Amino acid sequence: MKDDSDTLMTTLPTPAPRPSWRKAAIAYALIAPPLLLMVFLIFIPALQSTARTLTVDVNGTPGFTLSRYIAFFQDPVSVSNLMFTFQITLITLLVIFLVCFPLALYLRFANGRLAGAVQVLALFPLFVPGVILAFALIRFLGTRGTLDTMLSIAGFTGFRTPYLKPDAIVFGLVWESIPFTVLVLTAGLRQVSDALIESARDVGANNWQIFWRIILPQISRPVLIAFSLNFLGIFGSYTIPYLLGPAAPQMMGVFMQQTFGQYRRPDDAETQAVITFLICAVVGLLYVRTVASQRKQEQDS
Amino acid sequence: MATLDLTGIYKQFGSVTAVHDVNFQVQDGEFMCILGPSGCGKSTLLRMVAGFEMPTSGDIRIDSESVTALSANRRPTAMVFQKYTLWPHMKVSENIAFGLQLRRLPRAVIEQKVKESLALVSLSGYEDRYPAQLSGGQQQRVALARALVLEPKILLLDEPFSSLDAILRVRLREELRRIQRRLKITAIFVTHDQEEALTLADRIAVMNAGHIEQLAAPSEIYASPSSLFVADFIGAMNLIPGTVSGGRLMLGALPVDAPAGLSDGPVTVAIRPEDLVVLDAPQASAWSMTVEQISDLGYYRRAILEMPGMQSLKIFLPKALEAQERGTLHVYARRYLVYRDGNAPQEVVRGLPVSAA
Ligand SMILES: Nc1ncnc2c1ncn2[C@@H]1O[C@H](COP(=O)(O)OP(=O)(O)OP(=O)(O)O)[C@@H](O)[C@H]1O
Ligand SMILES: [Mg+2]
Repeated sequence: MKDDSDTLMTTLPTPAPRPSWRKAAIAYALIAPPLLLMVFLIFIPALQSTARTLTVDVNGTPGFTLSRYIAFFQDPVSVSNLMFTFQITLITLLVIFLVCFPLALYLRFANGRLAGAVQVLALFPLFVPGVILAFALIRFLGTRGTLDTMLSIAGFTGFRTPYLKPDAIVFGLVWESIPFTVLVLTAGLRQVSDALIESARDVGANNWQIFWRIILPQISRPVLIAFSLNFLGIFGSYTIPYLLGPAAPQMMGVFMQQTFGQYRRPDDAETQAVITFLICAVVGLLYVRTVASQRKQEQDS
Repeated sequence: MATLDLTGIYKQFGSVTAVHDVNFQVQDGEFMCILGPSGCGKSTLLRMVAGFEMPTSGDIRIDSESVTALSANRRPTAMVFQKYTLWPHMKVSENIAFGLQLRRLPRAVIEQKVKESLALVSLSGYEDRYPAQLSGGQQQRVALARALVLEPKILLLDEPFSSLDAILRVRLREELRRIQRRLKITAIFVTHDQEEALTLADRIAVMNAGHIEQLAAPSEIYASPSSLFVADFIGAMNLIPGTVSGGRLMLGALPVDAPAGLSDGPVTVAIRPEDLVVLDAPQASAWSMTVEQISDLGYYRRAILEMPGMQSLKIFLPKALEAQERGTLHVYARRYLVYRDGNAPQEVVRGLPVSAA
């Protein structure tokens, strides 16, 4: 640009564009407090813990060791608890999707009074704290609980309560996860327009084919998000398995608490925590990648 | 080779009657346009043919077989929608192949058909693009290919080009017409753009408030609109209220020739701007009017004329004619239609006054 342009024509003074380094500085200043909080409260303690589980004291100087992890994986109780946690997590996830997909599809495509009621019901667990839910389920599912009583009135006496069995954990965790999962799936389904579905029906697809070939591929991201966040919540859950589950095997959350509090073995509890953390970190990474790819696509288009 | 019959079609949405007693037949290989203002029920009618809406009553037959009870995925129709409806997670070739895969055709056949249909819409070589990598016009062409590849008996199009710019819209509709002629496919095209309908259609069904006002060839619709609504909706038209008393037709204070046998009462006279001719001298049977406004439209001009006791009139002026605003023109209606109470109009054609010749 020429310097004398102002002398040739009168121009309105335009605000000088802020230098980009200043914009960046402001942005960093804004996110600094929460970032520092996370670093000091989460990352540093986590790293310290992890480091401690990997060090051994050799005549006053710290040395590297895997002995704690070897001990964990050689202990049958620890391994069975880890496997149990995986098992419960995967079964719960499966049940969650089996329950929530029909619900979300219904809420996406139905309208009217009934759909509104179903929506409220599906969100209801969101407002019930886990402890209260656990006791409500004990009342409902326990021996001589509501279900038992109703069944015996109906003449069915063979009821065996799932309380203190793995099924009760799955039941409680599924119940707890329904609102979030339904919300995420319904929001995803609303992104798939009616016209896209109609044009699939037009070329001859039935409901099943429309679901598999048109809807599901387009909501893979919400599904992955629901999967990973539910996985994290379930894998590390404590209240529900503690109150509803069996004494053994235990889920990792309960196991850690007992190792730490009852058996007073903080070192072992720390190892269990790091193992749990690493497994969750892998799934967390899946979540971050899913969200990042979504963001990238939104920027591209 | 297919015909479509609609008999007694009604569609009710709650208290709204969207479609009201529609009856017509589309001939084999015919290109029919459904034309009407926004909200008159065009899309609803088309969607009933496609199977997306169930008629409240009435019967839809394709090749004399009722399809009314069939769901959309079982009907031999294919639709091109107004909005872009390519599936975003599929490539162009996969979009087109989807319907063929559902029909379990062999892979090689599918590939061949996809290739042919892309060639048909002049998009060869675009197989591996995703919809997001196509322009709006290209997306609609793929949507057309996706519909045509299934060899439907009836092709349905709901304002497929209305979101494209004017030049592209004209190009695509010409292309559509060429393809339709070549394949000799029966087609129904919904639009609210009369120019689109007049240029494309073998016949036009003009729709208003849920029912068909007139169904005829474009030239006939233009020349003899069967109702005041059609007269007003299609092309430019001067609609002038008048009264008949004692066999004389009065437009304001001016008498004009009345059609024979018209009883006394109010009428509406419809005159196309091009049926108003300018005389070079005043005449008893002509109107001397003041030029209010002239707009230059390139190869002709459009003027608005006024005179006391008469509503303003639109008229087309040749470039050669001398006229300016505030000047006076003597105009003579050589053809007009007289409408009364929803009856078919009566036509009056008059020769030019002697001195004007
Ligand atoms: N699903 C529906 N539920 C309720 N009313 C509807 C529904 N679909 C259409 N209508 C109503 O039916 C009438 C006709 O609608 P339709 O979409 O067929 O009009 P159209 O002629 O296609 O208009 P446009 O040119 O704006 O597309 C409108 O009054 C509309 O509000
Ligand atoms: Mg419409």
